[in-house]
Amino acid sequence: MGWYNKRLAKSLWVFHVSASPCNNCDIEILDLLTPRYDLERLGIKLVGSVRHADVMLVSGIVNKKIEPRIKRLYSQAPKPIFVVAIGSCMSSQGVFKESYNRCKEVKEVIPVDMWVPGCPPKPEAMIEGVAKLIGVLNE
Amino acid sequence: MTENRIPLGPFHPLLEEAEYFELQVEGETVVDLDMEIGWMHRGHEYISEQKNFTQSIYLVERICGICSTSHPIACVRAIEDVDNVEIPKRAKYIRSLVGELERIHSHLLWLGLAGHFIGYDTVWMWAWKYREAVLEMMEIISGNRNHYGMMRVGGVGQDIKPGDIPELLDRLDMIDKKMEMIAKVANDDPVLKARLKGVGVLSHQEAIDYCAVGPTSRASGVPWDVRRDDPHDAYGMLDFDVITRPNGDVYDKLVVRVLEIIESSKICRQCLDQLAQVQGPILNDVKEISPGEGIGRYEAPRGEVFHYIRSDGSNRPVRHKVRAPSYVNIPTYEASCKGISVSDALITLASVDPCYCCTERSLKVHSDQDEKPDLLALSKQKTERIRREYNAN
Amino acid sequence: MSKVDQFRDKFKNKISQEIEKKGRYYFNVENRDLRQIARYLFDEMGCRLSTATGMEREQHLEILYHFSYDETGQYFCPRVIIKDKENPEVNSIVPIVMGAKWIERELFDFWGIKFKDHPDMRRLLALNHPAKLDKPMRYEKEDV
Repeated sequence: MGWYNKRLAKSLWVFHVSASPCNNCDIEILDLLTPRYDLERLGIKLVGSVRHADVMLVSGIVNKKIEPRIKRLYSQAPKPIFVVAIGSCMSSQGVFKESYNRCKEVKEVIPVDMWVPGCPPKPEAMIEGVAKLIGVLNE
Repeated sequence: MTENRIPLGPFHPLLEEAEYFELQVEGETVVDLDMEIGWMHRGHEYISEQKNFTQSIYLVERICGICSTSHPIACVRAIEDVDNVEIPKRAKYIRSLVGELERIHSHLLWLGLAGHFIGYDTVWMWAWKYREAVLEMMEIISGNRNHYGMMRVGGVGQDIKPGDIPELLDRLDMIDKKMEMIAKVANDDPVLKARLKGVGVLSHQEAIDYCAVGPTSRASGVPWDVRRDDPHDAYGMLDFDVITRPNGDVYDKLVVRVLEIIESSKICRQCLDQLAQVQGPILNDVKEISPGEGIGRYEAPRGEVFHYIRSDGSNRPVRHKVRAPSYVNIPTYEASCKGISVSDALITLASVDPCYCCTERSLKVHSDQDEKPDLLALSKQKTERIRREYNAN
Repeated sequence: MSKVDQFRDKFKNKISQEIEKKGRYYFNVENRDLRQIARYLFDEMGCRLSTATGMEREQHLEILYHFSYDETGQYFCPRVIIKDKENPEVNSIVPIVMGAKWIERELFDFWGIKFKDHPDMRRLLALNHPAKLDKPMRYEKEDV
């Protein structure tokens, strides 16, 4: 699949999933597409449906009400799909550790390929994450 | 008459957050609307009872990322209201400056998203490009682009260095010039007028009945604004206008927000002028909060944020209630969505500038883990012991 | 005469346990007088309902309403004490203030308080919740 991954890395289509975030990571993700940190020059595009996506960007603590929906979204996505978890909320639940409404561990809900920590992660950190992903795909 | 239902959500290309609407349509016209929320529920009020007062300021910041200074300002105002604590003059100007910069950033964000929802992507790219200047100003003042962590009980945590003020004024000049251009666009552009005039009207009486707040009510002619009605911090000493418009449709909401950015920039200039002259401390150290109740409120970009604290003399709140402005603005959809066509539904739902993560901040839950009450009791005993030792010395 | 004094003169035999601070006025009312006081505050004085806070104490439940008089920034906060913790019930103020619909639904969701004459009494945030949260705010609190 080496040649397939190299073609994929030339232009990744991204779908953004908000699983109970505080919206900060979401607006930093949208900030990546605006003229200052323009990611569209690398071929990365935001799409409207998970069935067209190559990468799923997930943010937030996964709340009990949304957990079955996230599992269903992951099963609807065409494989291979890479899941990138953005923010401290995904890595370690952040300030919401004592909440009763969160799931136990994000890894049990969907398999995650890359974590980008930060509250919120700076756009430069997210670009480094994307560059590493493209590097991994190119090998 | 056949009844068709169109479900929107929870995941939709044009919705930022997860929420579910069901539109009942006849042909192309929306007749009724039903909503289900609850996907962003995280449990703030429960967690906040287990943290002390200073920790809850950091917790409360993460209710929402866009209005991330409004909640801490209202929270420290509520804690200060229990004992009527006074804050130093320099801290008042710094609080108002940070609050108004956040208002500029939030309104520019809404402008970009509104352009994106009606398919006018140029407006999106330009509004967010000028928003980057505001985020740079916040980075100069506090060190972070979004969650600032600047508020404390009794003042603010960080000061503004005199060497930074010329840089901040430079960026404000750039924003003023570009806002003149955007204000002309809002006045003259035929695409915006054709798409947004007369859509999603909320009448004057409905805005009063639903107790709507913020630009949603000011665009329907109801002039409620916490900055003028309950002045606190530096707002009693500054000069600004409250913008209202009579019609209540989406176009008026856009005009109100664009003009508010221009007013906020005037307020920021006045604050920076005063900060160059007024010197002094920025924090009034508060050691204890006596038993009692306190209410704090602040005019966030979306309306009035309300916090209520009840304390019993220890270092934790007994009850901490949060009410975000979107909580009272979102039910107005029932009134403003009747009679519009399906293609206008999304821009009407977005015109109120909803922030669902603010609306669903918290719940409390019956904890069935046995060790939690004991830990809470142990930590309260420890605080009492430390207090006795401190008072004995 | 200030607005607080006018209000106090008009309803002096219906309110009790007043606490007055700068800009804030808290007082207790009975369930049967709640609608009359809400009608006076909302319709005649022109106040706006900010929200309502629910709380559980050892012996009772209480609901604290917050009405804001926007001309001067003064807050009027009537408090209703509910002694019956098993089946709490209060008169709804939705016929007077339409904005109280979601506020009362949330109080029903988390504390189990029923409101008489509410047009749409169902849960708000825990609707269709997979873990079946039931009256999450109620729990045994230790003595504070």
